[in-house]
Amino acid sequence: MKINKTPKRAQLQVSFAWIFAIIVGAFILFIAIYSATKVVKTGDTEVSAKAGKEISALLNPLEIGFETGVVVLLAVPVETRIYNQCDTSGNFGRQIIKVSQKSFNTWAETDVEAGFPNKFIFSDGVEEGRNFIVFSKPFEFPFKVSDVIYMTSSNKKYCFFKAPTEIKKELQGLGQENILVESLECPEQSIKVCFSETVGADSGCDITVDKMQSSVEKRGEMVYYETDALMYAAIFSDKAVYECQVKRLMKRTEQLSLLYDEKRSLLSQKGCPDTVDLQSLASSTGAFTNSSTLSSQDLFSVAITADQVNKQNDAATCALW
Amino acid sequence: MKIQQMAFMLIAVTVFFALVGMFVLTIVFSNMKASAAVLEEKNALLLASRLANSPEFRCGNAFGTERANCVDFDKVMALKKGIKKYSQAGFWGVSKIEIVKLYPVRGSVLCTLENYPECGRIEILPAGEGKGVSNFIALCRKEYNGGQVQNVCELAKIVITYKG
Repeated sequence: MKINKTPKRAQLQVSFAWIFAIIVGAFILFIAIYSATKVVKTGDTEVSAKAGKEISALLNPLEIGFETGVVVLLAVPVETRIYNQCDTSGNFGRQIIKVSQKSFNTWAETDVEAGFPNKFIFSDGVEEGRNFIVFSKPFEFPFKVSDVIYMTSSNKKYCFFKAPTEIKKELQGLGQENILVESLECPEQSIKVCFSETVGADSGCDITVDKMQSSVEKRGEMVYYETDALMYAAIFSDKAVYECQVKRLMKRTEQLSLLYDEKRSLLSQKGCPDTVDLQSLASSTGAFTNSSTLSSQDLFSVAITADQVNKQNDAATCALW
Repeated sequence: MKIQQMAFMLIAVTVFFALVGMFVLTIVFSNMKASAAVLEEKNALLLASRLANSPEFRCGNAFGTERANCVDFDKVMALKKGIKKYSQAGFWGVSKIEIVKLYPVRGSVLCTLENYPECGRIEILPAGEGKGVSNFIALCRKEYNGGQVQNVCELAKIVITYKG
């Protein structure tokens, strides 16, 4: 009887110690793994947030507006996706940049976004690569509204086929490595950009610019532009980004019209003759931005008002801009 | 007794790892704060040189040919009136923007619509504390005397304050 009882008690003691050790050990291991994962995730988020802010700081030199044709290279050490998002709410809307980087062969997704009310970046919704090429151009409507920024991944090659002389000169001046200007043949796998006045409809173009209609056709979708700055914007960005940024540009135009109108009022108090009707431009841009049905197709009517206001300013004794 | 020893040991190990983890996190987050401050500073320094040429400040062709670092005094006074829209949107991402006239010396009298241009300091974004960066500018305005329009430019500096 004694022989049977002793091993039973010993067995119970050993198994309880083991069970206890296993439970607590598993708990410690779980906490350690959980914390490590959290720290890695926080690290990824930090890198993405930093990259977003860094992009903003790097884009600053492009917005001085005196050096046209400045090209900035954004080089990142790992494969990166830049999400270009746009929000039209408020007085200026917001340019939103989200960055996701490849970590252990998977894309580290993050909710952290950098938002800028004073920047206008035109690109596809998602640009992917290690090098991003950025250049800018001033958008004047009729006064300077902003420097619009074009961002492309160096993985994408744009081939401007038989471009009109002024565009050819401008693009060649940029010396941007992923923009080719060809008059004979475009390399395979490049995005072929054609101009309807020089190339027929049968040339296998990915993007077609119609300068007569001020329109750009891309992936079967049509967008409309005013000024060359928006023509490039339509070429380098997808329709959703383009339409949203155009609305934001018009919002800023509206605010600047009100600012110039205030300046006009101050100058008229000083004795300067009051001849520029900026309220018409403010209401025209206001109607465009507040409407959910108006799109770039209706931009021409705002452009007519902008042109009239510009003529009034040129003829004014005290020029406003 | 053995169980007690093991329990104490395991608690000690847990507490040790928790302390190590907290130490690592403190270092990580202090680095993050430092990076944020560096980015803010970088942005403010570039902004000081960029702001004078932004559409809300720049002279454009209003005073003859276009020139760099030229701020339109009349436009800035108009901007002061409608600054709420810009500050609410955090448009420039800085806490304070101020223009101080350097030559001719006008003292530190704050510019208002009543006393301008006979004043020395324009507070565009008034509230806010932090570190300041500045850039020299030409502050130009129009004077209208007896049917003649004159362009008058003064030396000034634009001061930007950011949260450092």
